Amino acid sequence: MLVKFLATYRQIAGCKSCDVPAPADVLELMVALCNRWPAFDGLILNKDKTDKGDDVIILVNGRHIEHLGDVATPLTEQDYVVITPLVAGG
Amino acid sequence: MTQANGWIGTILRVNLTDGSIKKEPLNMQDANDYVGARGLGTKYYCNEVDPKIDPLSPENKLIFMTGPLTGTAACSSGRYEVVSKAPLTGIIGAANSGGHFGPELKYAGYDGIIFEGKAARPVYLHIDDGQVELLDAGELWGQGVHETTEALEAKHGKVRVSCIGTPGERGMLFAAIMNDKNRAAGRGGMGAVMGSKNLKAIAVRGTGGVTVARPERFMREVAKARTMLKEHPVTGNGLGTFGTEILVNIVNEVGGLPLRNGRDGSYWDKADDTSGERLNETHLVKNQGCFGCSIACGRVTKIEGKGDLDGFGEGPEYEAGWSYGAACGVNDISSIVKANFICNEQGMDPITLGSTVACAMELFEMGAIPEEDIGFPLRFGDAEAMVKLTQMCADGEGFGQTIGLGSYRLAEKYGHPELSMSVKKQEMPAYDARAIQGIGLEYATSNRGGCHVRGYMISPEVLGIPVKLDPQVTEGKGALLKTFQDLTALCDSTGMCLFTTFGIGLPEIAGQYREAVGTDETDEEILLKGERIWNLEKRFNMEAGVEKDTLPPRLLREALPSGPAQGKVNELQTMLADYYEARNWTADGIPTAEKLAELSMTY
Repeated sequence: MLVKFLATYRQIAGCKSCDVPAPADVLELMVALCNRWPAFDGLILNKDKTDKGDDVIILVNGRHIEHLGDVATPLTEQDYVVITPLVAGG
Repeated sequence: MTQANGWIGTILRVNLTDGSIKKEPLNMQDANDYVGARGLGTKYYCNEVDPKIDPLSPENKLIFMTGPLTGTAACSSGRYEVVSKAPLTGIIGAANSGGHFGPELKYAGYDGIIFEGKAARPVYLHIDDGQVELLDAGELWGQGVHETTEALEAKHGKVRVSCIGTPGERGMLFAAIMNDKNRAAGRGGMGAVMGSKNLKAIAVRGTGGVTVARPERFMREVAKARTMLKEHPVTGNGLGTFGTEILVNIVNEVGGLPLRNGRDGSYWDKADDTSGERLNETHLVKNQGCFGCSIACGRVTKIEGKGDLDGFGEGPEYEAGWSYGAACGVNDISSIVKANFICNEQGMDPITLGSTVACAMELFEMGAIPEEDIGFPLRFGDAEAMVKLTQMCADGEGFGQTIGLGSYRLAEKYGHPELSMSVKKQEMPAYDARAIQGIGLEYATSNRGGCHVRGYMISPEVLGIPVKLDPQVTEGKGALLKTFQDLTALCDSTGMCLFTTFGIGLPEIAGQYREAVGTDETDEEILLKGERIWNLEKRFNMEAGVEKDTLPPRLLREALPSGPAQGKVNELQTMLADYYEARNWTADGIPTAEKLAELSMTY
């Protein structure tokens, strides 16, 4: 499954994207990413690892997880996920 | 002599026909009712100018107006507004700019300047505190923005300059007024109005200050707001690190980045080549802030080792990066930066210009524009042709003159007005209204034509600030947009930068305003002033003969071919009904007598 990183998260991951085995849901993916890159701890996951962080945007196939199933959104190998810190502009 | 309420208390009235310069007291009743800058400038304009006026006639007026927070210690308070009827749209044109010019004008002793008439020959206004004079601009006429600014700095010392380039001199319909070289009152053609008056520039030096009503309480409000801005991820770090161009990837990933004039949907596999991340890697020198701003989103950029593209300047911002990037199908970031440099150096709105080039590319590819009209092939993705055409537009050369009409008049000339991605003849920016429903409603109802900063629905629909709304649904968008429009009208009118609203809200904006001007009005009463401003603009536009609130047929009928919003069109009519109801306007979008009475509007 493809995971894309944007903005400062690219610096943490050291890459623009990576392929990972699809976990059951978004929460499991966030935990896996934190295990691989501990600097994500507290950013993409909250401190007790039960929910996403406050300032992260997570898209599954281009849809915000808030409009799917939040961190319980199920994932398959065909899905792709985008993770970005809160950014803005205009 | 300043007033102790955020205002100086003096307006300059400059008649360019007879050369008279008068200082008159600020209309404090209107300042209280319409806040300042955008609101107050529009109120002055509506009081004095017939809505049917030809924007480029000597009878039109051009107003520069600051806000009560401009030049104070308030957050990001470097803004001022230029108000006139816009030649591009034929409706009210209020263009907001940052930098340092606005504060300097107040420090010289003036809240605003009203220009009337037309000079017999090119002139510029020189202000050195109390000394104000019209001087010959014969040697400046024909110069670009940077050359003009540097010439006036060389002659007058430490002045802040607001000026036009050669497109403004020629009355090009989307010419911008530029200050501090690269800050733009960019949209609608305010530069053309300035040029039509033979007014090349304003050079101002001020050594005074601004006094607020309740200094200790004011500074407490400022400190609270500054802390919130510093602690917010967007205003504390994000915008300064990556600038506004950081939006490219996230907007693309939700399927909202209009590709090739919107013809090919709104998801682009090459978007990252044009992103804020990429700009940082390739062209960024440093970030830079406007007056009193801790956000510092500005991009100082340079191009090296690219031959004719080489240069030094600022930007692009997200909207310009899109218009010259995805809209034209160009993924060479150096060419995008270069095209934006040309716009800054000559004073042109890059949103309209890049979008017009994109429209021309579509018309060329479908055979509607013959190659002999342009002089060379103009296909999507051709970076060299894009930069060349931008320079031709700046120079008023060949087909560049046709590009200078804007996309609506261009597409109409070649028989396909429906292919202009504009609302009320002004080009929409960088968000596809088929993927992001509320931004479509915002475009359709914007009081200055296609525009993203008259509400900025991207904030809740894509970024989740201050609440997260689903971009693909219509429910709740009308009422929220109404509130956002009123709040942005208020923010613009205070003299603060709209970007502060990513980190602070009405309580903090109203708090700083309240203590600066010395009012005890509630937050809600202060927000009501934003609604009053919106209704004033709407009333002017109705009398000017505004077109109905709608979107280009492409967004209403052509379903997105791919991406996360595949199959979607914009459901405008559903949202419009909710929006008009929230505004307490008629079902046809006309302000009711009841609403105007509630707002105590006499216009």
